Amino acid sequence: MSRFIAALVAAPAIVLLVHSAAQAHVVCGDRVFPTTLTMDDPGVSDELSLPTITLTPTPLSQNNSYGYEWDKTITEDLGFAINGNYATQRGPAQKLAGWDNITVTLKDQHPCIDRHPHEELVWSVGLIRLIAGTGSARLRNSGAIASVGSTAPTFYFGKGFGDVAAGYLRPLAITGELSRVFSDAPGASSNAWAYAVSLQYSMPYLQQNVQALHTPQFLTRMTPLVEFAMSQPDVGPPTGTIAPGILYDANTWQLGAEAIVPANRATRLVQGTGFIIQFHAFLDAYYKSWFGRPIINRNLWK
Amino acid sequence: MMTTRLIAAAFLLADLLITPAAVRAHAFLDHSDPAVGSTVPASPSVMHLWFTQELEPAFSWVTVTDKSGASVNDGPATIDPSNKSEFDVKLKSLPAGTYTVKWHALSVDTHTTEGDFTFHVGKG
Repeated sequence: MSRFIAALVAAPAIVLLVHSAAQAHVVCGDRVFPTTLTMDDPGVSDELSLPTITLTPTPLSQNNSYGYEWDKTITEDLGFAINGNYATQRGPAQKLAGWDNITVTLKDQHPCIDRHPHEELVWSVGLIRLIAGTGSARLRNSGAIASVGSTAPTFYFGKGFGDVAAGYLRPLAITGELSRVFSDAPGASSNAWAYAVSLQYSMPYLQQNVQALHTPQFLTRMTPLVEFAMSQPDVGPPTGTIAPGILYDANTWQLGAEAIVPANRATRLVQGTGFIIQFHAFLDAYYKSWFGRPIINRNLWK
Repeated sequence: MMTTRLIAAAFLLADLLITPAAVRAHAFLDHSDPAVGSTVPASPSVMHLWFTQELEPAFSWVTVTDKSGASVNDGPATIDPSNKSEFDVKLKSLPAGTYTVKWHALSVDTHTTEGDFTFHVGKG
């Protein structure tokens, strides 16, 4: 029972974890790694995610969050992101609402690796800082958001399958990330490993590189995918989610929707199957000023 | 009520950000004739490629090659003056076989993209 209560207290933090990472997209050769919803991808670019709406039922309440994220390039390869969300909890006992802590990310992307045709390999490294104390005091005091900050060195990668022989497998791609989360106070909030993987099937890639389909155009702009994100604290059980869904890519924006399914029993104790939807704008498509371009027009890797 | 206001504000801000400027983006292949991966019964005289954005002709190119890698372009690729997102290249007479189209595009806002695909000439 005590484990259940502990899990219940941790529920809001877990619910918010799934979309606390920065999100960006990246183009590598003729592969576009789209923006994923519950995890980050290896890209560095000028983008805006607004809003990201997450609806999550828990045993005692309905938790919703309305998130924002701004991704800004400093150089062509180096960028930062700021993200947060407004969270609400509605239950029979109490109703809570307020801003979550702000998270900032600094990320540097290695240039796309294309040593042979369609290698489509890209990776990046980043540092994610959760700034405790920047959110609502009421939420913090109730345990709904983190009261302890953390810093997470993170490795990201993406690999397209454009180099496989079987044509209809070429639109497949995987992306992933691995973080070591160092808590500011490990005694109060454990250090953790966080890892995530996405498997994507790009209909645009199929249409442009393999086989043009005579289907309505909106179908050829979709990328079905599944995201799998886990957190393994040094103390306590692992928790995570499996998020199957669809991304729709227009030329200058992306719309994504996924179900968020608890990945294991420990997660099911604290949250049910939820839903996430996100509108994402590629700012470089709209603005030629610094707002849509790197501040310094050079690549540190070159 | 607060939630509704937040959602409305978010969509309003997104709309404000998107509306004022002319839209520009990466140029990706929208479709082609012959189509990607298709089989055509006879040699096409021209390869047409339509992109999602207007292209910079000086820095964009299309090459069609046969199985041995030899170019079958009959002259340089040109951009349709009436539609700057359409790239055309005249082709030599193509015997039955598989041909690879490689393209490199610089959109008018200087984003570079590239890609390739095949089509087949002869009975499918």
